Amino acid sequence: MSSFPYDPISEMFSYGFMQRAFLASFFIGLACSVIGVFIVLKGLSFMGAGISHAAFAGVTLAFLIGAPPLLMAIVFGLLATWLTGTLQQRQGTKPDVAISILYTFTMALAILFIGLMKVYNPEVYGYLFGSILSVTPSDLAVILAVSFTILVTIFLFFKEFHFISFDQEMAEASGIPTNKLFFLLLGLIALTVVISMKAVGAILVFALLILPAATASQWAYNMRSMILLSAVFGVSGSWLGVILSYWFNLPSGATIVLLITSFFFLSTVFSPKRRK
Amino acid sequence: MTIQISEGEFVGIIGPNGSGKTTCLKAILGLIAPSAGSLHVFDCACEKLRCEHRAKIGYLPQKDRVEPDYPITNFEVVMMGRYGALGLFNRPSKKDREIAMESLRAVGMERFHNQPFGSLSGGQQRRVLIARAITQQPKILLLDEPTTGLDTTTQGHLLDLIQSLHQGFQLTIVFVTHDINLISPVCNTLLILKTKVYGKGPPVQVLTQDILTQVYGKELILVERENRPYVIFNDTHHTG
Repeated sequence: MSSFPYDPISEMFSYGFMQRAFLASFFIGLACSVIGVFIVLKGLSFMGAGISHAAFAGVTLAFLIGAPPLLMAIVFGLLATWLTGTLQQRQGTKPDVAISILYTFTMALAILFIGLMKVYNPEVYGYLFGSILSVTPSDLAVILAVSFTILVTIFLFFKEFHFISFDQEMAEASGIPTNKLFFLLLGLIALTVVISMKAVGAILVFALLILPAATASQWAYNMRSMILLSAVFGVSGSWLGVILSYWFNLPSGATIVLLITSFFFLSTVFSPKRRK
Repeated sequence: MTIQISEGEFVGIIGPNGSGKTTCLKAILGLIAPSAGSLHVFDCACEKLRCEHRAKIGYLPQKDRVEPDYPITNFEVVMMGRYGALGLFNRPSKKDREIAMESLRAVGMERFHNQPFGSLSGGQQRRVLIARAITQQPKILLLDEPTTGLDTTTQGHLLDLIQSLHQGFQLTIVFVTHDINLISPVCNTLLILKTKVYGKGPPVQVLTQDILTQVYGKELILVERENRPYVIFNDTHHTG
């Protein structure tokens, strides 16, 4: 792989894998940063971590039994979402306890499935640590279709998700089907996690969900600007991460996450909300 | 318990902690189904939450759960009052925005419409939340301890606002509070609860030593001030 400064951005686009990496990182960055706004405002941060580990367990099972990894990741992600929501609503389990149980349970499953594999499979670790430069055309098709679905759903239910994030009880009293919409939101989070795993990995996807929105909240005073800024931070961080990981041959997931983390810390220093 | 609230009434609900005041409001709102008996709103046995009548009930919840950093303007908060009536998939129209602005004007918060909700004082936040409730264009306004945590002057201003909304919009008001002396001069009817109804009627009739002792125990004195009953709690740590 070429290294800086001999390979300008225009030349990067001559490679199919870089074109796919840019497109994938755009849509993943966008989906994560937009849904991340609701995750941060609704206080669901650890839900993202729980779901990503569940989805990883799905991937490991898929490799063990020879099933499609993304499909299994979606199934596990949605099952985990449903299980956590049900534990909270039916059994009255506290959210942090429900998510911790889910987190460790699915991680134990993943370790078990890896242990049962007869041979070392590097692809499994691709999902754990992420590699956006190795996104295949079929991966890209799934990423585009799913992120488009996620963004359209958020657009359609924007005012309801906004209301639920701000004041769930009032939303319910106003006749909004809050439970169904809450599960829909969790389902969308699960889908976002699944399509992002290939790019940033199961461990770091959590950061891509939380950090752009948390950074935006340092600057935004209303919902629209928060979403817009979150998208700007998410997409620019992902793109810069792809370029830097190409130039310097760095792991893409870690590069993207470290960049977005630096946006966050810079914002905490320069944010007008903190300088008061 | 059997309670009937008539149209245009200003009802104050008092009672010690755990007496069922908030539960009563939540049942009217449809957030909790009655475990026994029935509940009729606008003569409709609409125990299900999404009965059309619920849209005519405005509500100010008990406590503010909003993070000061939450990125939302006062106008956005008030606009949420229209979301129930708008239904899924519909966006607020110009008329909805006008109604929201009119509600902000009615509570004297119009000039703050573009400011972050989190930057307001407690009293101003209550005003904006009342604006959200009246943006629903309700017939009934349920207020759960709207004056708790506010200084005496702000309490007075908020009470004046609620009275003016009651008179100006012919709203039926149900006002839950710990503060007997605050509510008794302004409400038509006082409801005294402690898991059952101990008294319901004009404050001068129901605020008796006998009823209050049954509900609050013996640590209070009932005196008369400006021809009205006035309650003094001996225990200074008592919340109301």
